[in-house]
Amino acid sequence: MIKVLTYLTIALLALVSIEAFAHGVDDKTRAFLEQNNGVQFIPFLYIGAKHMITGYDHLLFLVGVIFFLYRSRDVLLYVTMFTIGHSTTLLFGVLSDIQVNAYLIDAIIGFSVIYKGFDNLGGFKLCFNWQPNTQWAVLIFGLFHGFGLATKLQEFSLADEGLITNLIAFNLGVELGQFAALALILIMINAWRKLPSFQRFSTVTNTALMSAGVMLMGLQLAGYFTI
Amino acid sequence: MQHTVSTKTLVKASISAVVVAAIALVTFILPAEYNIDPTGIGNKLGLTALAQAAEVETTSLETTKGTDEFQTIEVTVPAGRGIEYKFYMKQHEKMTYEWLTDGVPLYFDLHGEPEGDTTGYFESYVIATTNEMKGSYTTPFEGSHGWYWKNKSDKPVSIQLMVKGQYEVIGLKQ
Repeated sequence: MIKVLTYLTIALLALVSIEAFAHGVDDKTRAFLEQNNGVQFIPFLYIGAKHMITGYDHLLFLVGVIFFLYRSRDVLLYVTMFTIGHSTTLLFGVLSDIQVNAYLIDAIIGFSVIYKGFDNLGGFKLCFNWQPNTQWAVLIFGLFHGFGLATKLQEFSLADEGLITNLIAFNLGVELGQFAALALILIMINAWRKLPSFQRFSTVTNTALMSAGVMLMGLQLAGYFTI
Repeated sequence: MQHTVSTKTLVKASISAVVVAAIALVTFILPAEYNIDPTGIGNKLGLTALAQAAEVETTSLETTKGTDEFQTIEVTVPAGRGIEYKFYMKQHEKMTYEWLTDGVPLYFDLHGEPEGDTTGYFESYVIATTNEMKGSYTTPFEGSHGWYWKNKSDKPVSIQLMVKGQYEVIGLKQ
């Protein structure tokens, strides 16, 4: 029973949910962002956390990254790589007002999910006889994830006053949200790893991850070409 | 760290991943998000309604806000009655207009009422009796601006009103 439940929960994480279609900034947040003036530390902290917890494309990538990481030290290392990557481009992107197409960036984020599922299956060794450095990959894809975060904030003309502080609050919130989501994910995956089904179903799960990545990419590319 | 699967497994996995994604995209995701429905299944499932509702929301928000192109509004004045059709405009906003009836002349008063006013004060920009008129005006104050038309004939009269500029439609006030 627990086996089935755990498997289903993990599979659900990998499948697109209706709620997830709203990935972006919802209306209440939008109204707040457009009206606020000056430093609003806690609100931006909250928005950052909420964005990460509901950011299923970011979370799917993280699930893929930690899937076969068994030691806490490794988990910490890879998550830190991801954090450095996305924080850099989030701050840089918003502050330098970088103009990148959100659909393209989100499509690349979708691709990062495909990459991780494929890599978890040992796909690179099998197909290309080469294993791309996973730490570098997480760092570099992290940069793209960060641009994705930046474009969502950039959709609104944020007040210049207090922007840096608010941005740092947002970034901090993202990390808090990431921490919370990761805690949940780690609890579930560690419970699952105790069961024999983990080895058997890891292939299917990473296949589902790849599939989710393709759906994400398709969704974003369709947006790029039609809107 | 991770175990490597066999080539056969990898190929099966990759293909099934793409196939499942393609099906999900074509039958659920694209219809619901973008109203793209090549199989028609999205429509049958009612998902295309989601995309269409989003579209309607954005266009109707745009038209009530005022446009760079003429927006045509049809108004009917009942026999022997007067009506008002108003627009909410801020101070120093401009409206360009043209209106015509089916030939019957109407008494009208193009005027503005200040926002928040309780004295009943209004300022008339044009008062005349005619069956067609065109021009433009720039509001001296924020408030509700537009036409009072009086139909003194014994049959209802239709007016075709065309407006463009910076305004929000309030509409008919009887």
